[in-house]
Amino acid sequence: MKKIIVFLSVISLLTSCNNDDSEMISIDNPEITLHIPSEFPEVNSFVSLNKPTKYGVELGEKLFSEKRFSADNTISCSSCHIQSNAFADHNPQAIGIEGRIGLRNAPSLQNLMFMKFYNWDGSKLQLETQPLVPIITHEEMDSSILEVIEKIKDDPAYKDLFQKTFGDESITPERIYKSIAQFEYTLISANSKYDKVKRNEGESFTTSEAKGYETFQQKCASCHGTELFTDQSFRNIGFPVNTNTNEAGRGRVTGLASDYMGFRVPTLRNIEYTAPYGSFGQFSTLKSVLDYFDNGVLEADNLDPVFKNNGNKIPLTEEEKSNLISFMKTLTDNHFLGN
Amino acid sequence: MQNFKKYLLFSVAMLAFVSCSSDDDNPVANNVTLEFNNTFKNTTIVLGNAASTSATANTSAAGQVHHFSELKYVISNIRLIKDNGDEVPYNINDLDKGATVIDQAKTASLSYVLSNIPSATYKQIKFGLGIKPEQNTLDQVRFPNFYAAAGANDTEMMWEWGSGYRFTKVEGFYDTDNKAMSIHTGSTVEGTEGAYTQGVNAYRDITLNLSTNAIVGSKAPKIKIAADFDKLLSGKINTITLSTGTGMNDNATPNVHTAAQMVKFVDNLGGNGSSDISGMFSVTAVEN
Repeated sequence: MKKIIVFLSVISLLTSCNNDDSEMISIDNPEITLHIPSEFPEVNSFVSLNKPTKYGVELGEKLFSEKRFSADNTISCSSCHIQSNAFADHNPQAIGIEGRIGLRNAPSLQNLMFMKFYNWDGSKLQLETQPLVPIITHEEMDSSILEVIEKIKDDPAYKDLFQKTFGDESITPERIYKSIAQFEYTLISANSKYDKVKRNEGESFTTSEAKGYETFQQKCASCHGTELFTDQSFRNIGFPVNTNTNEAGRGRVTGLASDYMGFRVPTLRNIEYTAPYGSFGQFSTLKSVLDYFDNGVLEADNLDPVFKNNGNKIPLTEEEKSNLISFMKTLTDNHFLGN
Repeated sequence: MQNFKKYLLFSVAMLAFVSCSSDDDNPVANNVTLEFNNTFKNTTIVLGNAASTSATANTSAAGQVHHFSELKYVISNIRLIKDNGDEVPYNINDLDKGATVIDQAKTASLSYVLSNIPSATYKQIKFGLGIKPEQNTLDQVRFPNFYAAAGANDTEMMWEWGSGYRFTKVEGFYDTDNKAMSIHTGSTVEGTEGAYTQGVNAYRDITLNLSTNAIVGSKAPKIKIAADFDKLLSGKINTITLSTGTGMNDNATPNVHTAAQMVKFVDNLGGNGSSDISGMFSVTAVEN
């Protein structure tokens, strides 16, 4: 009898702790141990409020490929964020339902937990606030979060995963945002040839790659710095301008003239597979980007000093370009790309 | 004990009478109607397309003729101030019940009825042009009705990319060759009040003294509010010259309205919160 009482009180104790998502501790849904690569920058502080869990990540991955997110059930997150392209796609600008063309190029999704800003203009600082944007945007999924929940709420697979992740079957907007972010936090790319060379794992650069790395350090690393290969700054580097009247780059977020047509320095990791390049896919190849830098970029009042102080260009010989491309290809992480 | 019961019964009966005693002649509360009149100076605006001959034309301080085809703005956070200074907030934390989109194309939207306002004499009204940052999150679960109204296809008062509402949306034409003007305002702030980490707060708090006190009680007063869109380009804060293009200083289309240029329009329409707390708004009459 005593044993039964103890058992019952333990049960009721557990039950009473089960209400709050953030407080929930479940031995059946353990936190995932993520391998944080050494030398990577600090983790975004919001991650500590939504640590990836076993079922949270599984649920997030399923939601990431859920086409019922879109008004006509044709587009999911993974339609424009394709793993074999480092979760970018092939189109200059993202294409949503009914072939609608978005404002910008779909960015790759990698190493997001180390990023301080999300999107080309850094409009979001917390990854959990991002998934709503494509869901409601006319040129993307053109739906609403309640419409999405209505479509998936009776799906037994989701009921099961929400139960396992959050302790009950209820599907809420916050739970959807959190689980998608948890999945995205697990997208860590740090296993390229470059990483293996750095870690002395028996690989070494070819002559061309090594020369390219040298040029990279001299002429590129001031922006594409850190192990993320972006310093996460926003710069106007005089790329051909998107004339869509809704485009102002980071300026539309901050209201600062100095941010007009400034965009986040993109990471170079897996760059071999994320063409086309630029905020609206202005360049189809890496060579064309390097040629553009070499020939000279567009003048602007707030053109980045790297260009402004150097005759609006980064001079590169043909050999340097070819070596740089060889080096950039060492940033390809085949395991990450699912190959 | 028997007596006590009788007293109790009597008291209850009295209470019932008391609670019923506020008859129609002296109600504890009544409606207040806010009636918006969108004007260029003293002329009510008529909307029209580029070639329209009936649309109301206005000329800015900088000499640019212009007219509108679309004119919308959001009002929220409404508070009425009694003559003793007490503030009566009207569903200020509930966008479904306390916020509305004023749309010049929809006559019904120009009158907004505040219901159940406590009987009293009121001397001032405060409201927000736009939505406070903490409520500006496109939260469809908390405020489904406002979300639906603002997001409707014929309204388009959402900034999807910023996960917030548009505060004003003005479409129209300027100069004699009728170039498009498209002025959208909204907030992009991140973080919490007092510690915004980035972005622009385009919400503006408006304070207007009533031309005569509004007496809520046996009658339901109407407060007539003029919104003078002449101020858009020829404001108390900024005199603006429109220009078209994709340069940093071009301002006639949303590319830079959403950036540095936007704040100039916001300050003209809603004041700057310090030297100007009325912007384009004024109370023209109170009907008691």
